[in-house]
Amino acid sequence: MTRTVVEARNLTVSRGQTPVLSDISFEVQEGEVFALLGGNGAGKSTSLLTFLGLLEPTSGEALVFGKSVQNDIASVRGKIAYLPEAATLYPHLSAYENVDYFLSLAGIGRSRADVEEVFDRVSLQQEARDQHMERYSKGMRQKTAIALALLRETPILFLDEPTSGLDPVAIDEFNRLVTNLAKAGTTIVMVTHDVYGACQVAHKIALLRRGTLVGSFEAKNGERIDTETVHAAFAERAVA
Amino acid sequence: MTATAVFSRELRFFLKQPFAIWLIIVATGLSTFSVWSGLTEVDRQSATIERLLVADAKDRAAAIEKESDFGGAAYYSFHLTFDPPSALSFAALGERDVFPWKHRIRMLALEGQIYESDAANAELAQSGQFDFAFFLSVLTPLFLIILLHDQRASEKVAGRHDLLVATAGYGQNLWRSRTIVRVSLLGVGLFLPFLVGALMSGVDTQLIALVFLVVFAQILFWTFLCLWASARPFSGPAIASGLLAFWVLTTFVMPAASDAIVERAIPAPEGGDIILAQREKVNDAWDLRKEATMEPFVAQHPEWADDAKIERPFEWKWYYAFQQVGDQAVAAMSNDRRVAVSRRNEMAGWFAFLSPSALTQRSLSHLANTDVGSALTYQHRVRNFHAELRSFYYPLLFKNAAYRAEAFESLPEYDPAMGSDR
Repeated sequence: MTRTVVEARNLTVSRGQTPVLSDISFEVQEGEVFALLGGNGAGKSTSLLTFLGLLEPTSGEALVFGKSVQNDIASVRGKIAYLPEAATLYPHLSAYENVDYFLSLAGIGRSRADVEEVFDRVSLQQEARDQHMERYSKGMRQKTAIALALLRETPILFLDEPTSGLDPVAIDEFNRLVTNLAKAGTTIVMVTHDVYGACQVAHKIALLRRGTLVGSFEAKNGERIDTETVHAAFAERAVA
Repeated sequence: MTATAVFSRELRFFLKQPFAIWLIIVATGLSTFSVWSGLTEVDRQSATIERLLVADAKDRAAAIEKESDFGGAAYYSFHLTFDPPSALSFAALGERDVFPWKHRIRMLALEGQIYESDAANAELAQSGQFDFAFFLSVLTPLFLIILLHDQRASEKVAGRHDLLVATAGYGQNLWRSRTIVRVSLLGVGLFLPFLVGALMSGVDTQLIALVFLVVFAQILFWTFLCLWASARPFSGPAIASGLLAFWVLTTFVMPAASDAIVERAIPAPEGGDIILAQREKVNDAWDLRKEATMEPFVAQHPEWADDAKIERPFEWKWYYAFQQVGDQAVAAMSNDRRVAVSRRNEMAGWFAFLSPSALTQRSLSHLANTDVGSALTYQHRVRNFHAELRSFYYPLLFKNAAYRAEAFESLPEYDPAMGSDR
């Protein structure tokens, strides 16, 4: 029996007078990968920020494990590891130091061996790990941020354009990683405009256009969601 | 997570930021310089007093030996009066830049001697000394603004803000712990040099604690202001501009405006006018009948009525009587000035509540006994001492006492602690 981990219930979020999300509802079950697909300005990142308590809903509710985010922000944040788009960690610190600092912020301690193991999983080059991140490529920075999210070992992962800046090999590795995490029970909510990438890993996909859900797809019988179908719907409804 | 662990984490984080470390080093350096500068100035003042005391005694002894009457001895004898710097004055030289802290006075008319050096430090009256009070009240806010204004804005620009807040659970805890670390390091950097200076100068522990409270209050005010401003949804440069505008307004514009208002609201006779009026009175006396001097003198000193007759063209008792009449002529002006200065000071004290910088400087000056009140107390001591000199010489002059050096054994000596009650 699966349980609902993340739920948007008639969620509306406005910035000033402008609605960014309008009355959207969805549910994500434990161990699912849920992808919110949409073009620029569709409200994808706003959704994640609302679940992190960084934006307040105008109406409706954002629920995590059945609890309203607004009522228990710290507890909810403790259950979610967040990978922001174009994650910029501190350039004057090394990957180790960045990870150590952010984990400490979350009140988590990890051994150097644990960190090494996760750096290996995300294929961050050994020789780069002690260098200041100002020398890192965008892909290396993204891998470090992914490693940080994994090291939190939270039941939920929020990923904002997670494959941005990664090369094709790294994207494949990342997709495998996400699939394995989901199999291990981690619930993953990702926002992306990469239709192909989303179809590779997601159990559910929702199309978002100007803050409104305009379509949804679900993998059936253990098969992947059909890329062609989603792509057609995306082109027709999400970016029209 | 314990507070120690949080503090330790943010301390380690802070220590990896070269710019922030340099800022603390510069602040510590400036604080050290301000303390050194204050100590040097206090040493200079103390050394001047020591040197003048020796020279003064020597000159006076020579005059007493050389002269053959008490009038001549009084004329050529100078007496050093001084307001010794307190142990804490190195930290806040205060009004010692503006009001004289030493006078070499004679038996002549006093008011002119008090006010003739009033404008000696006009340049310093504008800029002030680079002492700890100046550093704390004027420069410390700048360091706090630089350290705190863009804590959030810079993270937003760098794209880390949301990750930081989402990871920290409560964003407020993060900004608070970062603020505590930065402000604590700055506080230590600026207070430690003061503490060393205070211990070297033998400042009382209670007084050190009071200075600490002033430092704490100044830092606390600017810290809360910076935190409030940095939480506004503006860019770092916009927040910094706002804070700097507030700093300029409260540190320079408000005190200058309040000074102008106070001076306009409470008029006071100028020291120069008092000197001029007194000198005219004294100089005119040479051309007047002797009675024109002696009558107002006797009116004030009836005890000398029987000895007030002047029979020769020049007599010392007549000479000193017209000096005293000169003082009597400007007594009202002088009193008006003292009252006005005191009232101006009181009114400026109220205005200081609009300027944290002025309030900090005034608080430290008050603790260091270098404020206007202390300067007026010193003037009061000088007047008392001069009155003692007159009490010593008048019987000798009016009774035509035979000149003898032994009489000077009871010559009053200036005591800087005399009449220290304000």
